[in-house]
Amino acid sequence: MGALTDKYCIVGVGETAFMKASGRTPLSMACEAVKRAMDDAGLGARDIDAITSFQIADSTDVANVAQALGIRMNYGSVAYSGGSTTEALVAHAIGLIEGGYCNTVAIFRAMNGRTGRRMGGQAPGGVVPPSRAEGDAQFYMPWGFTTPAQHFAPSAMRYLHDFGATTKSFAEVATAFRYHASLNPKALMRAPITIEDHQRSRWVAKPFRLLDCCLETDVASAFIVTSRERAYDLRQPPVFIMGGSARTYADNPAWNHSRQRTYIQAGHFARQRVWGMSGIGPQDIDVLSIYDAFTYTVIIQLEAYGFCGIGEAAEFVKGGRLRIDHDLPTNLSGGHLSEGYAHGVALVNEVVRQLRHRADDACPGWAEGRHSYDRAAGCRQVREARFGACLGWGTETRGSSLILRSLSA
Amino acid sequence: MPGPIDYSKINIIPDPDTVEWWEGTKRHKFLVRQCKNCGHKWFPPFPACAKCTSMDLSWFETAGKGVIHSYVVVTQPILAAFVPAVPYVVGLIELDDCHEPDGSLTRVAGVMIDDEDAVAIGLPAEVVFEPTGDPNFVMPRWKICGTAQNTWKFNE
Repeated sequence: MGALTDKYCIVGVGETAFMKASGRTPLSMACEAVKRAMDDAGLGARDIDAITSFQIADSTDVANVAQALGIRMNYGSVAYSGGSTTEALVAHAIGLIEGGYCNTVAIFRAMNGRTGRRMGGQAPGGVVPPSRAEGDAQFYMPWGFTTPAQHFAPSAMRYLHDFGATTKSFAEVATAFRYHASLNPKALMRAPITIEDHQRSRWVAKPFRLLDCCLETDVASAFIVTSRERAYDLRQPPVFIMGGSARTYADNPAWNHSRQRTYIQAGHFARQRVWGMSGIGPQDIDVLSIYDAFTYTVIIQLEAYGFCGIGEAAEFVKGGRLRIDHDLPTNLSGGHLSEGYAHGVALVNEVVRQLRHRADDACPGWAEGRHSYDRAAGCRQVREARFGACLGWGTETRGSSLILRSLSA
Repeated sequence: MPGPIDYSKINIIPDPDTVEWWEGTKRHKFLVRQCKNCGHKWFPPFPACAKCTSMDLSWFETAGKGVIHSYVVVTQPILAAFVPAVPYVVGLIELDDCHEPDGSLTRVAGVMIDDEDAVAIGLPAEVVFEPTGDPNFVMPRWKICGTAQNTWKFNE
């Protein structure tokens, strides 16, 4: 167990609607998400004394969010980074509170990811205008190799080659998460899809099709971290932080002096530390979230953190294993693929809600923890969810994780 | 063949770490960084040696030949420069003369001259240098230069 295991909790979660065209500023959306997380926790502006966020492409500064909401910060910072920062900011928050720098930290990500500055640099119309290839972009932009789909595709291609897998394994991921989205009133894409729908969807960057890609989304989401002592006094059952990893790195397999196989994700190098710190293992996880920028990123993170062996995940995900009521319920909100792309924060929020036993589904009593478990009636609460994990991806080269437990675990 | 790439829509900004590399392409040389202390080679030209941390560096002129380790077929263009080029293949190529005794190797990415149908993992490829319309920049591309046993192609 880690020295700080169970000493810190996530006490509030909130988000805006997941939107295709918000018509709002990221600042306005950030304020709403943080306010909703505060309301969820039963905290006022004077109870929050730190805000952190991160930005690549669209974003807003923490200082303006604090100003707007009347929060006086003892710490405020925006990290220049992308996916996998969510879980890393939890580690920052724990360190800051433990060190006495602040008491209660709101973490948010706000972006018009579809109508504002899009990942990969596209204009809202879709194509990047004449672009500056500077810094390391000198060595990928001139080869037409710029977007996340393009960058991760060779890793996926080599995976298919080495293990004789097919993209039907990707389809298993897409269909499972879409099924979960059908049980999530917040999700952008709720109409169920089949393996065949996936296989028929158009190519984006082979071996990725449209239904392998997450949804560019206008959204803000937020959660709040504080100490166990404060957490017990708040409105919701606290969810305890058992351990994790904060932006572990690995060689970039797409270039450079690498002996590394393209599908060895950074989490591979964090695995022992993560489970050792948490005192549990992958076999104990009841609810899982995996950063699903693409279906394939789910495949190789399952392997990186030891849910199955290297090269085994394409088989592992078959038969609906990632679905609710099966072995390893994963991305119960629908994830980035179907709920909407919120750069990892909403994935944490879903696991927190599941561990509180308060998934915000169609059950009339969800807010009090009363669920029917009737999937046909729209219930998406996992029974007796005690241990959860959030795996954060920021390319093959960087990954973070967060291991959580419920009050009853 | 993929369609033409409109290099006028990419503004390359060399910097002090990279300007000599771009100069090399004008002389049709594919350079990689080499450590004067331990001999390690790498690309792109980051300013320190990842094996021994030395910053005393030279350039190594590779033969520009290698094997396709993996690839992506881009069907949806994102960069304006590549709108006329789709579908095009970006290959990940392991350079023959940058394999080192400890198992390190250098992978480079680049746009293939060849069509998707011709590209397969395991095939040999070599660099070719393409004019960009701007006399200050010549662009390396890659083309298949032979056959191999045990090649693999994405067929879905």
